[in-house]
Amino acid sequence: MGGITLFLFGVQVATGILLLLYYRPSASEAYESVQFIVSQVEFGWLIRNVHSWSANLLILMVFVHLFSTFFLRSYRKPRELTWITGVLLLFIMLGFGFSGYLLPWNELAFFATKVGTGIAGVIPFAGDYLVRFLRGGDDVTGATLTRFYGIHVAILPAVTTVLLGVHLLLIQRQGMSVPPAVEKREKAGETIPQEPFFPNYVLHDVMWWYVAMAVLAALALFLPWELGRKADAFASVPIGIRPEWYFVAMFQTLKMIPAHVLGLEGEMLGVLGFSLAAALILVVPFLDRATSEGRQHPLVRAAGILAVLFLLVFTIYGYLAE
Amino acid sequence: MSYVIKRATRSHGSTEARRILLKDGPPRLMVAAVLCGLLAIAAPAAAQPAAVSACETCHRGESSAALAAPAHDFSATDVHRDRGFTCVDCHGGDANEADKLKAKAPSTGFRGKPSGQAIVTVCVRCHSDAAFMRKYAPRQRVDQEAEYATSVHGQQLARGDTKVATCVSCHGAHGVRLVSDAQSPVYALNVEATCARCHADPEHMKGYTLPGGVPLPTDQRAKYRTSVHYDAMVRKNDLSAPTCNDCHGNHGAAPPGVGAIANVCGTCHTMFATKFALSTHSEIFDRGCLECHNNHDIAEPTDAMLGAHDTSVCSACHSDGDNGYKAATAMRSGIDKLTGAIARSHALVLSAENSGMEMGDQTLALREATNHLTLARTEMHAFDPAAVDTVLQEGLGITAQVDEAGQAALAEVSFRKTGLAVSLGAILLVVVALWMKTRSLTVNK
Repeated sequence: MGGITLFLFGVQVATGILLLLYYRPSASEAYESVQFIVSQVEFGWLIRNVHSWSANLLILMVFVHLFSTFFLRSYRKPRELTWITGVLLLFIMLGFGFSGYLLPWNELAFFATKVGTGIAGVIPFAGDYLVRFLRGGDDVTGATLTRFYGIHVAILPAVTTVLLGVHLLLIQRQGMSVPPAVEKREKAGETIPQEPFFPNYVLHDVMWWYVAMAVLAALALFLPWELGRKADAFASVPIGIRPEWYFVAMFQTLKMIPAHVLGLEGEMLGVLGFSLAAALILVVPFLDRATSEGRQHPLVRAAGILAVLFLLVFTIYGYLAE
Repeated sequence: MSYVIKRATRSHGSTEARRILLKDGPPRLMVAAVLCGLLAIAAPAAAQPAAVSACETCHRGESSAALAAPAHDFSATDVHRDRGFTCVDCHGGDANEADKLKAKAPSTGFRGKPSGQAIVTVCVRCHSDAAFMRKYAPRQRVDQEAEYATSVHGQQLARGDTKVATCVSCHGAHGVRLVSDAQSPVYALNVEATCARCHADPEHMKGYTLPGGVPLPTDQRAKYRTSVHYDAMVRKNDLSAPTCNDCHGNHGAAPPGVGAIANVCGTCHTMFATKFALSTHSEIFDRGCLECHNNHDIAEPTDAMLGAHDTSVCSACHSDGDNGYKAATAMRSGIDKLTGAIARSHALVLSAENSGMEMGDQTLALREATNHLTLARTEMHAFDPAAVDTVLQEGLGITAQVDEAGQAALAEVSFRKTGLAVSLGAILLVVVALWMKTRSLTVNK
């Protein structure tokens, strides 16, 4: 999983750099520049569509990678830091998705960003400041676009480089995690046959990279990423506005929480709940002490299964509820 | 301590004055004097709604509905009451006198219920006084009386016909609302119903005739309700669409003269009127625009009105072989050609868009082609086929460019699919090779 995720990230970097050659990050030119890329630039349509699809597949693979790591208990000692950097990379990828979504400056992205950044406003004490910080003002404007562009192409890549470097270095130093059962047999003195990293693992990964490339090319051609209409701050909000699929579960939950729960603002409780869940995921290796003894704590396992079910059910419900 | 502050306005033709009726002693007189000064400075429009007068107190208790209704209707929603006017401002009398005989004594100027010309006289005392009206509604016109005198209603009234509409027939007498108030009978959406109260009533309209002696029809409302104007006004909620008074005038209501019809329509349809004025038809058509479009039942115009076929309006006068017949045929044929070309180009653009191609420029170009179609339909009102053809050719030039771009886009889609097939074939070969290699490595080990 990690191999394909790394490949997709590489695709994002390569196609992102190519898009930078033509993209212009201003409210008056962003949409037109993307339109120019997909209609006038040689193979621009391919680069843009691959970038969009690869971004979505990347986030999907990061989630799959995270949960497979979770259920295989690969976060157990001594790989706690690998887990933490991995979870942080997931958050960064979501940040990439959120900031990149606005860059074409189309109607859907504009209003989705308005709603998305507005949610930060419910955070106690710092909410208003956070909204202004994200938007670069009181509302989503050209200043927001420039800000998101900076975050998308400079700040997040810089942080990713560091985290990914540490993540890969740790994997290189500590080796690939093996399932607990195999580890147990190893500890019992049994010799487990191992394959060399090169060429076996490398060729195996490269094969899957080619498969991923074929999928990306087919998606780019047959399901091109729609550009939609240019953002217009004075236009009425389109019907069925919702964020990218990976935020739909959270968005749907916030919509369903009552306005007030026990005298507190419902949306604020939702945001605080998600923040708490994120913090808990980050420190899972330290909460699940039983793992070091060769078993996973039943509560941790149950929480993981619930999290997967929650994401699946609420994402599907979010799409069906419209 | 209580004060009753009243604005005695224009009773007996006097200029406005304010009186403060004090119920208590001299110290309050000083306070009253100060209040009086403040009121003199304050703008009249800021006046408070009038308090309930003795007239209303008595009339509300009347058992006769006819006598009680005016007191109930003259509520806070009445524009006059809201600005401090009371019963006596129109009816005369003394509103502070509890005894009804004394309140209606001749010395109070009591004039009772005005009717006919007296209604107009009462209303215009204020509404024709520019200096007075400026204090309440500075932008409101003050020529209603003069206009009314020119209207059919006003002229009939002057001849002694008291069945005709006066001010209160349309605006109401008590409970008068601003024209901008959606509940006003003269609010744009309500005008046709207000006019129809008389004009759609055959009994009421009996005896009235058109200049030729033909009885005045009463089907105007029914016809108007089938028109494109009514559709725009009521169904599409476009308050700028015309209703009765937009063509006939309101206070000066009269049928537009035959020669003025094109001007009346042209107040909104400027371009059509300009083109029509250039045409030979403008000299021939007695009823101007109405010859083809009718008056109250103006249907949504379509291309079917143009041409030489049986259902076209041209065929009513023109027959095979004459110049008008040829011109109508040529113009209709050209318009149909551009309409068809736009439809085909649109389908092509949609097809390319559905295949994932960016066709924003072509969509924009098609809008321009549609603009040319509209321009041609406008130009047609000059009935000059050459001028129409010039506009149509420009539109056809645009659709030709769009078609070219659409075909190129579809060819590009085909090229991409071929490219993908070749790429996928190559990738599949590599994947198979890698799979065999990794398998052989595992087996060898």
